[in-house]
Amino acid sequence: MTRKKVKLAFIMNDSARKATFKKRKKGLMKKVNELSTLCGIDACAIIYSPYEAQPEVWPNNIGVQRVLAQFKRMPEMEQSKKMVNQESFIRQRITKANEQLKKQIKENRDKELTEVMYQCLTGKGSIANLMLPDLNDLGGLVDQTIKDICRRIESLKKGVTGPSGSQPGRSQVNNGSNSGVMNAMDKRHVVDQNVGGVNGMQRTQWFTDWMNNPSDQQNMGMGMGMGMGHGYEMVPFGDNPNMIWPNQFFP
Amino acid sequence: MSKKPSLGRQKIKIAKIQIKNHLQVTFSKRRSGLFKKASELCTLCGVEIAIVVFSPAGKVFSFGHPEVESVTDRFLARKSNVNSSNLHLVESHQIASVPELNLQLMYMVNELEAEKKRSEALDQMRKDGQSQFWWEAPIEDLSLHELQQLKDSMEELKKSVDIHVNNIIGGSDRAPIILSSTGDSCVDNYIWLCP
Repeated sequence: MTRKKVKLAFIMNDSARKATFKKRKKGLMKKVNELSTLCGIDACAIIYSPYEAQPEVWPNNIGVQRVLAQFKRMPEMEQSKKMVNQESFIRQRITKANEQLKKQIKENRDKELTEVMYQCLTGKGSIANLMLPDLNDLGGLVDQTIKDICRRIESLKKGVTGPSGSQPGRSQVNNGSNSGVMNAMDKRHVVDQNVGGVNGMQRTQWFTDWMNNPSDQQNMGMGMGMGMGHGYEMVPFGDNPNMIWPNQFFP
Repeated sequence: MSKKPSLGRQKIKIAKIQIKNHLQVTFSKRRSGLFKKASELCTLCGVEIAIVVFSPAGKVFSFGHPEVESVTDRFLARKSNVNSSNLHLVESHQIASVPELNLQLMYMVNELEAEKKRSEALDQMRKDGQSQFWWEAPIEDLSLHELQQLKDSMEELKKSVDIHVNNIIGGSDRAPIILSSTGDSCVDNYIWLCP
């Protein structure tokens, strides 16, 4: 395997380029071969290089002709439906990556909201610092949680067995009213504004970093370039609201 | 420890796959990987390539640089030299955008990596919370008394949230408009975050 990551750009050095070509061409042919064998399908590859007058092919000249003939026999639309060049291929991959990214971001936000909820529950986090959309979502999450709790209470009352039960060693539980740690949170909801100089316009991702040490920020807020005091220069946002790509990247 | 998303790299025998589902999945992944490698070869070495592949279902996939047709025509003709001016036209249009697209893709892949790491960190936080505080444990694990306590606390929390929401809205119904009136690009991030 390669020792270092190769930059995806035309290799200027002639001998390096030729060496890379030889290796990768060999690897590519091997991959076509494997694909054909593993899946029992027809395929062909044609490579024109400046190093040879004749193209390098897989499986062989006759094989290529056969596959191409099969290809051309198909209706035009079928031929072009899954036809790509470099540009369209990379665009496809970008679209797919974008979808995955959006999904992961949403998943992370939901997870983060749960953390925020638990923090606010015990007063470790302040609701006052949250912005409207996050507050709304938090409210929704709390509602949903309450619903789930009620449902569980009902099923317990009906005598449905489940893994519940008092565990020994839980100190805060019993004196019949809201005692223990939980009480504290009622008093601590309205806390000081501007913890650590947080400006209200930041994503809730700041929250977790705020809760942890500032030094932890390095581990968490990587790609998105956030953190206290950072502006939104790094946050991707382009003309297309569905695409996560910074406009200012290519002025 | 989060469980592994896939089996990872495993050595397989190069013979036709027997299980249809595996075959289809393998085809899909390998075809994509093959095109990726071809695309890289083109970028790195500036060569012309065409790959044509038939799927198990009989559909045809093809990759070509600069275009599938130009390369296959060139191969099939093989007598005269291809009209190079046409090629250059197509090529120069593509060449202009491909490096930028590659950068964009790389950026996106890095972002995805970062979000995945963040996801793991959040999972760990949840796990830590669950083991440290009884009220953070899954609902199924709580006793009736604990559930009732938790419910009361949650309801208090909800009240506080509602109070703050009302404070922000300030009694007017401008709430949805608040986000867009500043014209700040920061605002757009919220629209993005809260679809």
